[in-house]
Amino acid sequence: MAEVNRTRGTIKFLVWTVISGAIIAYFWMQYYNGTLLKQYYYKAKTSGWAVHANNFKDASKDKPAILQIGKFDKIEGLQAVPVKKGDLLPTNTNGIIDEKTVKEGKRVKLDGNTLIVMVPSTIKDSKGFKYRDTFMHKGIETDPWGGAWAVAFILILGFTLGTMAEGFTDMIGMKISKIKHYEGVH
Amino acid sequence: MYEFAIAGMSAPIFLLVLTGMTVGMVGGFIGVGGGYMVTPALIVFGFPGYMASGIDVMHIAGKSVVATIRHRQLGNIDWVLGLAMVGGTMMGVEMGVRLLNLTKELGLSGMALLFGSVAIMVGLFVYTQIETHRAHKKIDQLTESGAEVGRELKATKLPMFFQNISLKPIIRCHVARIIISMWVVVIVGVATGVLAGFFGVGGGFIRVPALVYVVGATTHIAVGTDLLEIVVSGGYGALRHFMSGNVDMIAVFFMIIGAMLGAQFGSIATSFVRGPAIRYILSYSLGLATVGAFMRLVYLLTAQKYGFLNFFAVVFTVGEMIFLCLFILSLVYFSVRYRGGKWVPGWIPALVVQKD
Repeated sequence: MAEVNRTRGTIKFLVWTVISGAIIAYFWMQYYNGTLLKQYYYKAKTSGWAVHANNFKDASKDKPAILQIGKFDKIEGLQAVPVKKGDLLPTNTNGIIDEKTVKEGKRVKLDGNTLIVMVPSTIKDSKGFKYRDTFMHKGIETDPWGGAWAVAFILILGFTLGTMAEGFTDMIGMKISKIKHYEGVH
Repeated sequence: MYEFAIAGMSAPIFLLVLTGMTVGMVGGFIGVGGGYMVTPALIVFGFPGYMASGIDVMHIAGKSVVATIRHRQLGNIDWVLGLAMVGGTMMGVEMGVRLLNLTKELGLSGMALLFGSVAIMVGLFVYTQIETHRAHKKIDQLTESGAEVGRELKATKLPMFFQNISLKPIIRCHVARIIISMWVVVIVGVATGVLAGFFGVGGGFIRVPALVYVVGATTHIAVGTDLLEIVVSGGYGALRHFMSGNVDMIAVFFMIIGAMLGAQFGSIATSFVRGPAIRYILSYSLGLATVGAFMRLVYLLTAQKYGFLNFFAVVFTVGEMIFLCLFILSLVYFSVRYRGGKWVPGWIPALVVQKD
């Protein structure tokens, strides 16, 4: 087996580091410009009110959160946007309070142009490590193309990082030979 | 603390990187995705259960690519064997998911899952322990008699039976040096895929023993080939999870970074050891995971009365990851000492190789 070519290893490492860096930078750009979140919180799976559940994380029966209903493009603070099944979700949505829950009136009540939320966004069970979301992630549909993009991204990132690591071991002169599986008694 | 916008919670980044790294190391060494270890760890960090499961599967797909690249360099992948198995595995995974949905409709899923996993893991743990102990003993005897022992030593004739089945088409796996009916490989893929789909894991902890004990591959080749399988089955699982809204990509990203480092070490570490050493780690990993699953089973059977059982099950699973990493590190450390002619404990020479 030939010795490790360190110059070639260095070039390989540098090239794949740049490619990995570019992919990671693209990923973060997608995250910061909201594309990643849009792919996740894509469409309404059910009719109801789109909300940003983190805004009422401490709501309770004694201290309910009052959400203003309106046709907002972006949910900011205590706001709720009415949506029908299949509608694209407004920016900053992270859950839907469905019509059934509002009709029941136990956890959420409709009062004129406001929604009165009487439960927090997450409930922690007393036993073990169980966290249950109340409305966060509920009633949303992800973008199927976003799913394909996410899987492709992860596989490509794995490939570039793996090849970069291969270049790194070559660069430092670490000889990794093929294993001789069938030598000796077995 | 980092605010994960999709998961809607905060967690320290270094914990995710560390988890990715430890599971990457174990996975790269024994050829498993490590789903049974990662999901409980993520739940401890505060991720909702469904998110933990989705993040885990997505990161497994990426991590397996990293480990596969390194195992290819080490010559541990039999592409013919891997590709022949992929179709069966995918079919099996789909059947497993449907079986899971059926048990859900019957209101049995939690119990069925735990009973099934405990039974399979105990069975595999006992079998691998017996077989590996036998191989360990045989290596000691051969070494004492002056014979040069290779990487692999199997103490079972089971693969011969399956290799003698002459149902056409017959495939020739050059790297694994196996001539076997394609149907045997496909059926192994379907069977392990059903279990993987049903239990919601990558299936490596079932597929690696199946490749060794049924198909007859060496442990190193079983590990590399299985990781290739996980790239495909993990990718498919990741797509399904994303479409169900179970994946926070930022968490996956941090885990991948850690896994990249861990998987490198785990994969390269295989070149320092003999097959039985990998099977030992796999066996202990199964044994420890069984204890965690058993605690959860008792917790459910006692109508969730004893909350501490669930707590300890999670703590135990996280501890298992650390234990396995230390075990792998010690094997590499002693292997390097052994190569340098320094003192090593008596149980080491049978498990490590003296030269490449």
